Amino acid sequence: MPYGWVGQVLRIDLSAGKVVKEPLNMPWARQFIGGRGLGTKYLYEEIDPRCDPLGPENKVIFATGPLTGTYAPTGGRYMVLCKSPLTDAIACSNSGGYWGPELKFAGYDMVILEGRAPRPVYIWIYNDQVEIRDASHVWGKTTAETEDILRGETDPQARVAGIGPAGENLCRNACVINDKSRAAGRSGVGAAMGAKNVKAIVVRGTGAVAVADPLRFSELVMESLQVVNQSPVTAHALRGLGTASTVGFANGVGILPTRNFQQGQFEAANDISGQAIAKSVLVRNKGCYSCPIGCARVTEIKGPARWQGKGEGPEYETIFGLGSDCGVGDLNAVLYANYLCNLYGLDTISAGGTIAAAMELAEKGYIPKEDLAELPFELKFGNPEAVIGCLEMMAYRRGRFGHLLAEGGYRLAEHYGHPELFMGVKKQDFAAYDPRGAKGMGLGYATSNRGACHLRGYSMTLEWFAPPNQRLDPFSTQGKAAAQKMLQDKAACEDSSGICTFVTFALTPDKVCALFNAATGENLTLEDWNLAGERIWNLERMFNLRAGLGRKDDTLPPRMLKEPLSGGMVQGQVVELESMLEEYYRIRGWDEEGRPKQETLARLGLS
Amino acid sequence: MKMIVSHPEKCVACHLCEGACSFRHEGLFMPARTRIWVFDLVDEQVYGAYACFHCSDAPCLAHCPTHAISRRADTGQVYVQEERCIGCKMCMVACPFGVMGFHGDKKVAQNCDLCEGEPQCVKVCVYGALEFAEVEPMPWAERLAAMERGA
Repeated sequence: MPYGWVGQVLRIDLSAGKVVKEPLNMPWARQFIGGRGLGTKYLYEEIDPRCDPLGPENKVIFATGPLTGTYAPTGGRYMVLCKSPLTDAIACSNSGGYWGPELKFAGYDMVILEGRAPRPVYIWIYNDQVEIRDASHVWGKTTAETEDILRGETDPQARVAGIGPAGENLCRNACVINDKSRAAGRSGVGAAMGAKNVKAIVVRGTGAVAVADPLRFSELVMESLQVVNQSPVTAHALRGLGTASTVGFANGVGILPTRNFQQGQFEAANDISGQAIAKSVLVRNKGCYSCPIGCARVTEIKGPARWQGKGEGPEYETIFGLGSDCGVGDLNAVLYANYLCNLYGLDTISAGGTIAAAMELAEKGYIPKEDLAELPFELKFGNPEAVIGCLEMMAYRRGRFGHLLAEGGYRLAEHYGHPELFMGVKKQDFAAYDPRGAKGMGLGYATSNRGACHLRGYSMTLEWFAPPNQRLDPFSTQGKAAAQKMLQDKAACEDSSGICTFVTFALTPDKVCALFNAATGENLTLEDWNLAGERIWNLERMFNLRAGLGRKDDTLPPRMLKEPLSGGMVQGQVVELESMLEEYYRIRGWDEEGRPKQETLARLGLS
Repeated sequence: MKMIVSHPEKCVACHLCEGACSFRHEGLFMPARTRIWVFDLVDEQVYGAYACFHCSDAPCLAHCPTHAISRRADTGQVYVQEERCIGCKMCMVACPFGVMGFHGDKKVAQNCDLCEGEPQCVKVCVYGALEFAEVEPMPWAERLAAMERGA
């Protein structure tokens, strides 16, 4: 057994009902680290990027990293990769909770789902025993009901990652939910799983993850824990108020996207802030596996509220998606909508973005009256019933409008003749930072390999969150191309290693690289490590180019390019994308069409 | 005596303590071999980490048919003498708290051994949910009643 990685891949041919265990491709693992990078390599080698993402020729890979399952801070992540049903580009969605480590303890770095099961199934993995089981009794059930039932018939300690009705109904905003509340959220990976007729992967593992240099590893972890525990971001902001700690800041400077990005400030922001959560719905804090930050919030809607429920959330992105972006400032409504998304298996960002686009289309009169007449609620900003109603229609594809919602915001806006009102990139909705107030974020959204995403190159860290003397002017385009490249490459290897982006607010890349080395026995220099990130980024890009995407897709909606924001510190700003993009391609070693040049590929070992 | 004291209200169910425990004792990350357990009943909003309480009337010790479990005179801790343990799991049945573990390869029972005075679980718990503190061992029934009151 190798160190860090457990050295085995579980390949499940659903069409033939066949399970094969094969050794992990170690040369690939060394080049692409694990998780996101390694999963991309497998996909790149094994599927045609032009394939139908909902067809049997697509594959869905559940991949862990070499640090997953160890006690490296936040070493508990796994990723779901496939060709995205939402973007047609590479999809890689990252989740915490307990599922990833359990898969490693069962003895697998990755699970590859191939083909298509003739009828609904779930996969039951108990160490080396693997079964494809009938799932007809849980098909149609919510993620929470499914987890309870499947744990009941397998092992009460098993961990479950699966889809809800949204994934079954091939909703392009569907996610994979594990441990009831953690989401591999973006790019419609839940729909790809649904298309394979796989309801869930249930895992129980009693094995181990070993590391190459235990003494060094424990020293590094103890040091890292200290660093995390002293960082104002990880130990105070995130631990104290969760990701929702960002609401006040974003609203204050004017980049809290509101009403489909028509504004950057929301008058009810204080009602849906981290402080508001702490005051009214918070039960207790929660952490994912091996996490010293503990940003998750266990919550419950209390009192005689109109909406009831309990679970986890809301995260900052959810507060924006289901709250400010839809003009909803009722915390209970946002939280209830959040719980529904978890139960249905919907990405709260894209579900919210889709509804916000629908609301603007309706308010501008672009949706014919007869279409709106079908709806049991008034489709307008600020109406929580519309958000909640749309979520159900979307997840279950109820009615003609439900079918349109399930196709995601871009396809909806295009259907009504106004694709420019879709706020996102590569058909994937923006996250919760208006790029007009953080130009590097704009370039990041435009060039992200999985469509609009704040985590691919989290330039908020440099443009707003960094200490003043290290900060890049958020309104300038100066230096943003180089910063984006650096951040994108950095996140690519960090994601791949199996840790959470949030811990890297405290841990520098050399620390993460050292943890990787001590765990795996590899001997990467910081330069090698950065190069691995660049390699992963370029391989994702190659996948997308082969899938038919290109420069034309590296863009932003006209609103970001032409309509200045009003209010807050960001008054009057738009994103000057073109100049940043050209510089970015040059720095990346890509040609004018955004294709990696031969020498770039050669330098990265990708030719 | 000094033992692991749990403050479940501060726990976030991250399982760092389990990783630290198995890593210290086995050199592996292996929750199946841990001597401290995180109960993560997130649905019920209940979670916390627990290790051996070294009860003053330890039922594991009382029920061990081979007298493999005894109490150290110096530290007061309850411990398993591996060479006398036959792996019958009677102690695990007897423990009302579910904090007696079992080593699947050696086929012997194992409980918290306090890492020779430097408990690793306490070291990694950045939340302060675990403490290595001076407390007197209690009769098991008293502790159980106290825990039930707390819950």
